[in-house]
Amino acid sequence: MEDSIGGSSSNDNNIIKEQDRLLPIANVGRLMKQILPQNAKISKEAKETMQECVSEFISFVTSEASEKCRKERRKTVNGDDICWALATLGFDDYAEPMRRKSRTKIQEASTNQNDLC
Amino acid sequence: MADGPASPGGGSHESGEHSPRSNVREQDRYLPIANISRIMKKALPANGKIAKDAKETVQECVSEFISFITSEASDKCQREKRKTINGDDLLWAMATLGFEDYIDPLKIYLTRYREGDTKGSAKGGDSSSKKDVQPSPNAQLAHQGSFSQGVSYTISQTFCFQH
Repeated sequence: MEDSIGGSSSNDNNIIKEQDRLLPIANVGRLMKQILPQNAKISKEAKETMQECVSEFISFVTSEASEKCRKERRKTVNGDDICWALATLGFDDYAEPMRRKSRTKIQEASTNQNDLC
Repeated sequence: MADGPASPGGGSHESGEHSPRSNVREQDRYLPIANISRIMKKALPANGKIAKDAKETVQECVSEFISFITSEASDKCQREKRKTINGDDLLWAMATLGFEDYIDPLKIYLTRYREGDTKGSAKGGDSSSKKDVQPSPNAQLAHQGSFSQGVSYTISQTFCFQH
């Protein structure tokens, strides 16, 4: 609605937007390959579909976490907010493993004290 | 139950990549955190910030998500004696696994993708029928972005090395 890009300004702009909007297709393809049997192949169409899907997933979860932070008057989204968003959106199978890892990382973070970017 | 995300035990023979700087295992397991962070930022208000553990949580989550969808699509291909996974298999897998809200935007994407394959660079304006099922304020539906595939692929590769 707001970001209706009808931009025909230059190829550089398109390339930059493409790179900003999606995750690298090589990495996505590599992750997909790891779960497949030995002789399986992935069409380029499938890789690009997964690129779109993953970006959508990230935006979806992050939006939910961001809304929670807004209600609680906080500016920084942290790992717990992400876990909460996953559970809220129905990704319960993701939330539990993430919660465990999140605790481990929090312990690491308290040691490093390099939590915020 | 039988389909756990099993990592290929036996050494990756096919991956002949050159990444002298970054850890190969780390790069193989996760997507680049800078790209993930950039996508997350778009879903936040202007003054919002993202903690490092939030980025890492999403990083792991995304890898799990890709494995989840791909595994389901792979099962379908095996049942149908096909070797190549295509876009429709992924859409089917998402519908099966409960990600129905993703289907419509991605179908639109696939339709345009296939039209684009005919070498005709006729991009539609804003004819995408957006579906506001859930009241998420920053919901950005998928928009076709595969304009110059070769170039974007090259840039993706370059970005991988730089990361």
